[in-house]
Parts: sequence; structure tokens; C-alpha cells
Amino acid sequence: MNAVECRELTRYFGRTVALNDLSFAIKKNTITGLVGPNGAGKTTLLKILCGHLRKTAGDVRVFSDDPFNSLKVSVNTVFIDDHLALPATLTIFDTLEAARLFYPNWDHRLALRLFEYFSFEPRKLHKDLSKGQKSTFNMILGLSARCALTIFDEPTVGMDTAVRRDFYRALLQDYLHHPRTIIFSSHLLGEIEDILEEILLLGEGRKCLHLPVAELRGYAVGVRGPAETVEHFIADRDLFRRERFGRDKIFVAVRNSFSGEALQEAGAMGLEVFPIPAEDLCVYLTARTKGGIDDVFSED
Amino acid sequence: MIFDTGGTQPIYLQISEWLEREILSHNFATDEKVYSQYQLAEMFNINPATAAKGLNILAEEGILYKKRGLGMFVSPEAGRIIREKRRKQVLHRLRELIREAELLDITESELVAMFKAAQKREKKEERV
Repeated sequence: MNAVECRELTRYFGRTVALNDLSFAIKKNTITGLVGPNGAGKTTLLKILCGHLRKTAGDVRVFSDDPFNSLKVSVNTVFIDDHLALPATLTIFDTLEAARLFYPNWDHRLALRLFEYFSFEPRKLHKDLSKGQKSTFNMILGLSARCALTIFDEPTVGMDTAVRRDFYRALLQDYLHHPRTIIFSSHLLGEIEDILEEILLLGEGRKCLHLPVAELRGYAVGVRGPAETVEHFIADRDLFRRERFGRDKIFVAVRNSFSGEALQEAGAMGLEVFPIPAEDLCVYLTARTKGGIDDVFSED
Repeated sequence: MIFDTGGTQPIYLQISEWLEREILSHNFATDEKVYSQYQLAEMFNINPATAAKGLNILAEEGILYKKRGLGMFVSPEAGRIIREKRRKQVLHRLRELIREAELLDITESELVAMFKAAQKREKKEERV
């Protein structure tokens, strides 16, 4: 069963198109990573899913309902980003107490244990926390709420490496014991890849890729060698990236539809063949040019 | 360049290879239950769907068998199948080595001599 379904979802801000004809579905009880460059439409999508924003056109369903003005979606959804409007006069400890009344599945034991683990000072106000502490506190809210749809929009902003690791681990642990649909956006695909089931890549408001993470690693392959040999070898496969390398060599990233034997032969032809990390592939797929930043410094 | 090595290998393959090693080193006996997808997810900090994929590969190859509702168990044929599979991989690596040697103008007799010398060193280290 699907927790989220979008068909030709489109959203304009004035004349700017933020989401463009977006169609996808997210299975219930999976963890999906939402990635893409700045301005790709990630936040807009997440805000539409939790009912904070209205769509312009197309269809969006969350638990079979249109999320905008849906009580059912509101009750079953928690949305965490770094602009949470929390009561300014409540201490962070009282904020947890208030959240407890708010969310039907709230796990207060988990909330308090995380609160203590991250050494929060109960009488502090949310506004007096550092950027990283705010993110950490918001993460506690997001996890403890145990909502059927849990959405994190760049939850790790400001967190140090150790806290980020703890967050990924806590998210996975809690998910294993209390499966639910989790969507979170991040720029750190390399860090979150392992705990994801699926990845949804947006670029300029469109879907670039939506597939199980397991398939991402073999999706593209890098080939490096003399330009002519490389061109001959890759034939008419989808080209994701092409860069000059050294004097007369090129590097390309292409869709990996080679047989094992073909990859073996490449070695004999004097080509280097190597897998493309998921994070790099996403950068290539959403880049505006195929050449990258080096084009800026190129003489020709 | 060798394509399928190291950390860039899909995680589910790393999981299935890890389980193969566990079986080969007798940490799991024949007909013993192996870790569930959830246990593997927790142990390796990975998504349970990825762990399930690693388990399913071994089930497809006949190394594990499923008991509905109970989990995955080590098949009596597991050791033989894994050894055969690994043998093929050794052969594969050998071919790559030969290709590399050709590139470096290493003759056959030189390569054999290198192999024997390496083997000798290995045995010496084992004894220490």
C-alpha cells in the first residue's frame, strides 16, 4: 500500500515553477531520502505532503486524502524543519510536555531518554539553543511523535558529525521497532544512503530518479581513457557526465548497461572502469551542464 | 581496474558475503537459523530492506532456505555452494592478474616464481 501518491503534481510561486509535473508513489513503512540541489523543490514537496502548502495543479494523496485541510493527514503527520514555530515562552522541557498532549502516539519515555542523552538543560528556551542543538531538539520531537508519516526537512543542519551519526542510528532503531513512513531530505546522501530504502531525486522541480537505493550503486559507471576509445566503448548509452582528463583523455559517467564481459574487455582496451558513488551520480543527474565547474575555467 | 571490489560494492552484496564467511567459518551450523533482516539492519546500521535483499540472494543460490514465518536457515549444501562460488571468483581474479602481468611484461615463469615466493612468505608468517 502507498502512503503517498502524487500525479502530475505542480506548484507555482508567481511565475516560478517549483514542482513540475511530478508523479511518484511512496510505499507505506519505508524510509525515503529526498535529495537534489538547492532550489530543486524538496521543501515545497514536503510542505505540500504535510498540508502546509496548497498544490497548483495535479493530484496529491497522503493516506488516500488530499493533505491540504485534512484532519486525518494532520493528526498522522509530523513535519520537522529548522523553522518550527514553537511557543517562545515555554522551556524546552515544557515543550516536550506540550507535544505529548498533541500527538496521540507520542512516546514520552523515548523523548526524555533522548533529552537526557543529548544533555539538554530542561529550563532553557528553544531560542537560546545553538543551531545544532535546535536541530537535535527538533529531531527528538520528530522521532517521539511516532507519526505514521514522519517528515524531516534537512534535519541535520548544524549538527556535528557525532550527533548526525546518533540521529541516523536513532532513526533506524526507532523505525525497526515502530515501522512508519519516513521521508527526509538531505544534502548528505553519502551519510544517509545506508539507512534508506528508496531515494527520490529532484532537479528543477522534476523527478530525476526514484528507485531503491540498492540499485543506485550499479546504476552508473565511470570510464576513463583516450577519448576515441571511450566514445567507441560507451556507444550510445545515456551520458551523465563528460570531463576532460589530462592531455588527451576523457572521463565519462554513463548508464551501466554493460555485461560483465564488456567491462572485462574495457581493461584490455586500456580503459579504466569504476563504479560511480550514489552521491556523485545525483550531482551529475541534476547538473545544468554535462561538463561541471571546469567549464568555467576552460579556454575553449 | 577491477570493477567489483571494496567499499563501492552494493551493501546487500557485502551483507551476503559477510554471511557466507560466517557460514564458512562455522559460526552457523547446518540447519541453524541465521540473523533476521531486522537483526542485520541493527547490526550493520542499514535499512532492513537492504538486509533482506542480502538474505534473499543467499536463498536464491540455495545457501539458505526459508521456513515460512520462522526465518532463514543454513542449507546442508551451503558450504559446498559457497566454496564453488568463491573458487570461480579466485579464477576471475587470477585472470585479472594475468592481464596486469602482461601489461607489465612479466613472463609466465616470472609470474610463477613470484607466486611461489609469495606462497612461501605466507607459510612462514603462518608458522610464526
